[in-house]
This record gives sequence, C-alpha cells and structure tokens, in this order.
Amino acid sequence: MPLSWILLVIFAIAAAGFWFGTSRVLKSVDQNVRALHSLPSYYGGNVSMWVLVPSLGVLAFWSLAQPLFIESRIAYLLEERMSNQGVTLGLMMTEVRRVADGLDSAVTENVMTTEEARSMRVELTDIRNRLAEVGVALGANVTAPIVHAAQQYHQLSATGNMFKSITVIALALAGLGYALLRTTKDFRARNAVERGILAILLFAAMIAIMTTVGILFSLIFNTLEFFKIYSIANFFFGLEWAPSFSGRGGSSSLSVIPLLWGTFYISIIALIVAVPVGIFSAIYLSEYATPKVRAFAKPLLEILAGIPTIVYGLFALLTVGPMLVTVFGDNTVGWMSGGTAVITAGLVMGIMLIPFVSSLSDDIINAVPQSLRDGSYGLGATQSETIRQVVLPAALPGIVGAILLAASRAIGETMIVVLGAGAAARLSLNPFDAMTTVTAKIVSQLTGDSDFASPEALVAFALGTTLFVLTLALNVLALYIVRRYREQYE
Amino acid sequence: MYDLPHARSDVINSDCKISARNVQLYYGDNHAIKDVTANIADKTVTAFIGPSGCGKSTFLRCINRMNDTIDNARMEGTILLDGEDIYDSKVDPVQLRARVGMVFQKPNPFPKSIYDNVAYGPKIHGMVRNRSELDELVERALRRGAIWDELKDRLDEPGTGLSGGQQQRLCIARAIATEPEVLLMDEPCSALDPIATAQIEELIDELRQNYSVVIVTHSMQQAARVSQKTAFFHLGNLVEYADTGQIFTNPQDPRTESYITGRIG
Ligand SMILES: Nc1ncnc2c1ncn2[C@@H]1O[C@H](COP(=O)(O)OP(=O)(O)OP(=O)(O)O)[C@@H](O)[C@H]1O
Ligand SMILES: [Mg+2]
Repeated sequence: MPLSWILLVIFAIAAAGFWFGTSRVLKSVDQNVRALHSLPSYYGGNVSMWVLVPSLGVLAFWSLAQPLFIESRIAYLLEERMSNQGVTLGLMMTEVRRVADGLDSAVTENVMTTEEARSMRVELTDIRNRLAEVGVALGANVTAPIVHAAQQYHQLSATGNMFKSITVIALALAGLGYALLRTTKDFRARNAVERGILAILLFAAMIAIMTTVGILFSLIFNTLEFFKIYSIANFFFGLEWAPSFSGRGGSSSLSVIPLLWGTFYISIIALIVAVPVGIFSAIYLSEYATPKVRAFAKPLLEILAGIPTIVYGLFALLTVGPMLVTVFGDNTVGWMSGGTAVITAGLVMGIMLIPFVSSLSDDIINAVPQSLRDGSYGLGATQSETIRQVVLPAALPGIVGAILLAASRAIGETMIVVLGAGAAARLSLNPFDAMTTVTAKIVSQLTGDSDFASPEALVAFALGTTLFVLTLALNVLALYIVRRYREQYE
Repeated sequence: MYDLPHARSDVINSDCKISARNVQLYYGDNHAIKDVTANIADKTVTAFIGPSGCGKSTFLRCINRMNDTIDNARMEGTILLDGEDIYDSKVDPVQLRARVGMVFQKPNPFPKSIYDNVAYGPKIHGMVRNRSELDELVERALRRGAIWDELKDRLDEPGTGLSGGQQQRLCIARAIATEPEVLLMDEPCSALDPIATAQIEELIDELRQNYSVVIVTHSMQQAARVSQKTAFFHLGNLVEYADTGQIFTNPQDPRTESYITGRIG
C-alpha cells in the first residue's frame, strides 16, 4: 500500500474516532453536555490523538529505518558475491536501487506481475526490455548479480511495506479502541488533550535539538579524524596558515590563529560601523519619524536586509575597494596596496548589518510601553532625555541581543570576505592588509579536488567546530548579559 | 450627605491659575471633550468626577499637553496658565510639563532603582548641586509620598519590582520631587489601602498651601474630603462645576445628582 493510502486510512480512522468519541460520550449522558467533565469535542480530540500519534510515530520511524536495514543486507550480499570485480560498492548500490525502483514501477504499471518481478529465473534481456517499457534504461554494466540483488531489494521492501501498512493501521485501530474504551463521562479528556498538545510541542522542540546534536556529532567526528593526523598544539597555537597543495599534511601549516584573527578583526570593524548607525537609525525611525516616513523607510531597510551577501561582496570588490585605494593608496598616503583588505570587507559587512541591527532594535524600542515615555515627558523631560534615560535602558537587553546576533552573522559571513578581504591568512594589525577568515578558508579547503581524507580537507571540520564553539560562547554570553539585566529590572 | 471638612468657602483662595476656554478634543473622529470652559483656582484642590470614559483623564492631559504625544489627538480652544496660552507656539511643552506635573492613572515606574526614579526629575532640571542634596530631596519626596518607611532600606531595588500600591506612591513621590506649580493626579489612590490613602490625602492638603492640585477620583468620599471645587464630567461635557459643598449637597443638574447618588456611572 503506498504511503499516501496509509495516511489516508489513518486520517479516516482518526476522523471516525473523533465522531465516535464525541457521540459515544454524548450518548452516555443523554446529550446533556453539562454532565461531562470536558466539552464533547475534547473527547473526540482525545480519540483522534490516540489514533494519530502512535501510528504516525511508528510510520515515520519505520519509513526511515526500513531502507537502512534493507540496504545493509543487500550490500552484504553483494559484497560476498562480487568481492573482486573492482567496482566500488557505492556505485553498485546506486544501480541496485535504480533497478529496484524500476521493478517497483513496472509492477504498479502492470508491465510485470509481482511473480515475475520477484522471480530470479527470468532472463536478463527480458527484464531489460520490460523495464525499458516503463522508462528505466539499464546500462551494460548492469550484470545478473545486480539485477538479482535488485529483485531481492524489491522483494524485501515490498514485504516490509506490507508489514508496515499492517502494523500502522493495526496500531491506529488499537489506539481507537483503547481511547474509545476510556471515553466515559468522567474521563478528563480536556486534560488528556492538553498533555497531548504538550507532547507534540515537545516533540517539535526535540527535533530541533536533535538536529543540532547530530550536526555537532558529525563535526566532532571529522574533527577527531583531523587531530589524528595533525597535531592539536600546532592547530591551536601555531601562528601560520600555509596549506601545501601537493603534500600529504607533513609540509602544511594549519593553524587557526591567523584565521580567527581575521574573523575577529573584520567583525569588529563591521560592528563599529553597524552598531551606532543601526541603533541611531532605529531610534530615529521609532521615536522621531512621522508615520509617513516610517511607513516608507522601514520596508526599505528590510529590503536592504534581504540583499544576498554576494551582491555586497561585488560591491566590496568593485566599488568600495577601489574607492579606498584612491583615498589611501600609493598615490596618496600609500597605506593600501590593493582593494582587498580588512577595512574593505569590514566596511561592507558593516553596511550589510545596519538594516539587521536597526530593524531588530526598532522592534524592540517600539515594544517599550508608551506609559514609560509618558511618565518621563510628564516630569518635563525632553525627547532625547527620555530616550537616553528611559527608553534605551528599558530596551537594552533586547538591543544587546540584536548586537550579538549581528556579531554572529558577521562571524559567519563568507562571501564578502572572499571578495573583499582577499584569501591570504595573515596576522597583522594593519586594517589595510588583506586577510581572510575562518569561514572563507573552510570553503576554500573543501572546494577543489582535494582528497577528503587529507589533513588539508579535514582541517575544515576542525575550523567549523572552532567556529561553532565560538558562536555558542557568544550566545551564552548574550543570554547571561540579558538575564543579569533582567534580574535587575523586573 | 458627606462630611465636608475643607469645603468651607472661606478657605478657597480663588485667583485663577488655569483657565480653559472652549476646549474641544478629538481622538480621530471621536469627540472626547466637548466645549469645556473652566477656571482652576490657585492654592486649591479641584476634583474631577464622572463616569468611566467621560473624558476626565483626557481633559487632565490637555492641561500639560500630554495629548501632544498621541498621534491622532487634536485639540481646539485655549488653555491659559497664569494668563499665558500653553498651546502657543512660543511655549515649550517640556518646560510646561516641568511646571505642571502629572501622576498617571496607571503607575509607570521607570525600569530604574527606586532612588533613580525619584531623582530623575530633579537631575534633569538641575535642581540639586550635589549628591547629599539629592539624597535629601529624594528622602523628602518619598516621605511626602508616604512610602519612605517601607522603602528606605531598598532604595537600590528596581521600582518595577514594587507592589501596585507602592508603585503608585512611588510615582506620586516622583512627581512631587520636581516641585511643580500644578499637580495633576489621575486616580492617585486607586490601588491604595485606607491608611496610605489617608496619608496621600494629607499630602494633597499640604500641597494646597502652595500649589494647585487637580485630582481625578471615582470616590465621592475622597472628592468630598480633599477638594474645594468639584467638576462633574459626563460624556465629554463639563456638566457642573462648583464648590464641592454645593455639588454634594445641592447639585443643580439632574445628571450630577443621579451620579453622586449612585444612579448613573
Ligand atoms: N489614546 C486614545 N486614543 C483614542 N481614544 C481615546 C484615547 N484615550 C482615551 N480615548 C477615548 O476618549 C474618551 C475619554 O477617555 P478618558 O481616558 O479621558 O476617560 P476617563 O474619564 O479618564 O475614564 P476612566 O475613569 O475610566 O479613567 C473615551 O471614550 C476613550 O475611549
Ligand atoms: Mg482616566
């Protein structure tokens, strides 16, 4: 039974359950709703919940687990049979999956009977022709073992699907029966539904958290691989970033410090630009601008925030860089030799962050209650006194949060760095030097045809982990600041 | 009907402090104040009474131009303070509000310490030269606001962490710390227990020696106790405005009579 059918059946059972639950409980009290603990719809909802939640949960789990299970079995079989043919297992498995899919559709389109699709004795040519009819062309490299494996694959998943359908629908019916049995007039359906809703929300939260944990694990796993072939001390405390392109790690210097320094330097310049401008424009927009100006300027700012960063990167490369060179270049003071520099990327990144900071701060300032402003005006304070001494302090936790969010965006930004700051990792205090950041190097280490097992590629994961830890620390710091401030003033 | 300790006409010192002429106020299309004309005397407590939504707060906010901060509010007519039109373009509303202080209907302490809440006005207006003067001023304001004894050990705590009644008294202390000539109080005792209410009423009586006080209240007893003049508003109109004694013993308008005897409102 295809997935859509199973879902349809489950939802039909749930709908019926809703109706059964409602009518059953109403009947038990002779339609007298006041005698019930909860509203009738809660009883129905409780039954639907018992139908849906367990069956959909199992369905989701089974659908994820079944292919994994089948693939591991088929791969094991294939490996035994074709251990010495020089084709990688991954490639063969791709073929097997393709043929198996072909068999699936051949059966559903009635080109082949279920028996034929399963039978191992059918000639290869026959299968080839039949599959061509449903639009699956088999190449010459599809040998008999592969087709047999595919048949097995097909068969296993067909059986699996059948059991899946049976189990899931049985579960739905069991849930229906169980919940209906508990549907009496004294049953606290309202509380049960409340708990059910809590469970659903919790589940959603769990997915978010588990994904994060999953990402973290894959990062850590590869990072550990990297540290097996490259020394931790050199990574964290070395002062040079010089990956060799030919060597196998021995001659590369892969130290994070020059990259972190670049990230830090560029982000600081960006924040120096973005924070004051952003906050001042937020104050103007929320406190001084007339509704007309506001209605026009706020969406405009938000459009700015939506410009892809690659466009800002081009702006850095083509406009800001050359402009800075004419001001600080060899023709004048001679501080700047090329357009790509920390200051170029920092300025452009700052411009990119302005709408981000101002839009968030504007919302936060707007959320400060008018009664506080009234209180201040009522004491004879001017508008700017009110803003400085009442509105901004009240909005501060939110504004700090906005700034730290902007900081993490700056740290994670890549495109502007690649185009504006150059690719040279360098430890220097001069803002007119070209430098590069962690993110830009992650990209350059993983693109190109380097071997994924080499330290030059694996270092990207170590860099990623470092960045992750840094951003995490930044967020924790933000939370800490905000919370301390809240404790003081709530 | 009510006991009227201050309603003797000999205490009413009636040179006029505020004079409102044909005041109209619109919130968009909503005509909230309809042609109100009234004189508010100096060194007098004036009570505004009337059913909820009749425009008491709105009229009060006209007197210190707080309605300027509401986008869709539009005022017509004139209000004179000491003979000077407060809506004249020469008048700085900020300066005006320092002279005409206000206690709001909802307590609105700043998210600052109790001390800083009270010190806010004096600091802005440069009323003190040093910290010890400020300390004194804050203590005096809190004492007059009948809250010093409760809070003297907690001056560093945030004002927003106080109980509703404490916040209300803190806001009163904050308003009198700037020593305004006119104090507008919008239901200043709505969240107070009888003892604190009595203390605030004492304060109002004391303020009357030097200032003019306007108080909005829903308590007839309070209006009778503290005020010398009473104005009754109804649906945006100033229905009756007279000596408190007269309003409560011999109201001229039937609407006033039904309101104070509890039949409307
Ligand atoms: N900011 C505002 N915007 C629009 N309409 C308002 C605003 N404030 C008050 N109003 C309207 O003006 C009228 C008078 O309101 P006001 O607050 O002056 O009443 P009030 O007499 O103080 O009532 P209460 O005793 O309940 O405080 C009401 O109809 C109210 O809906
Ligand atoms: Mg009011």
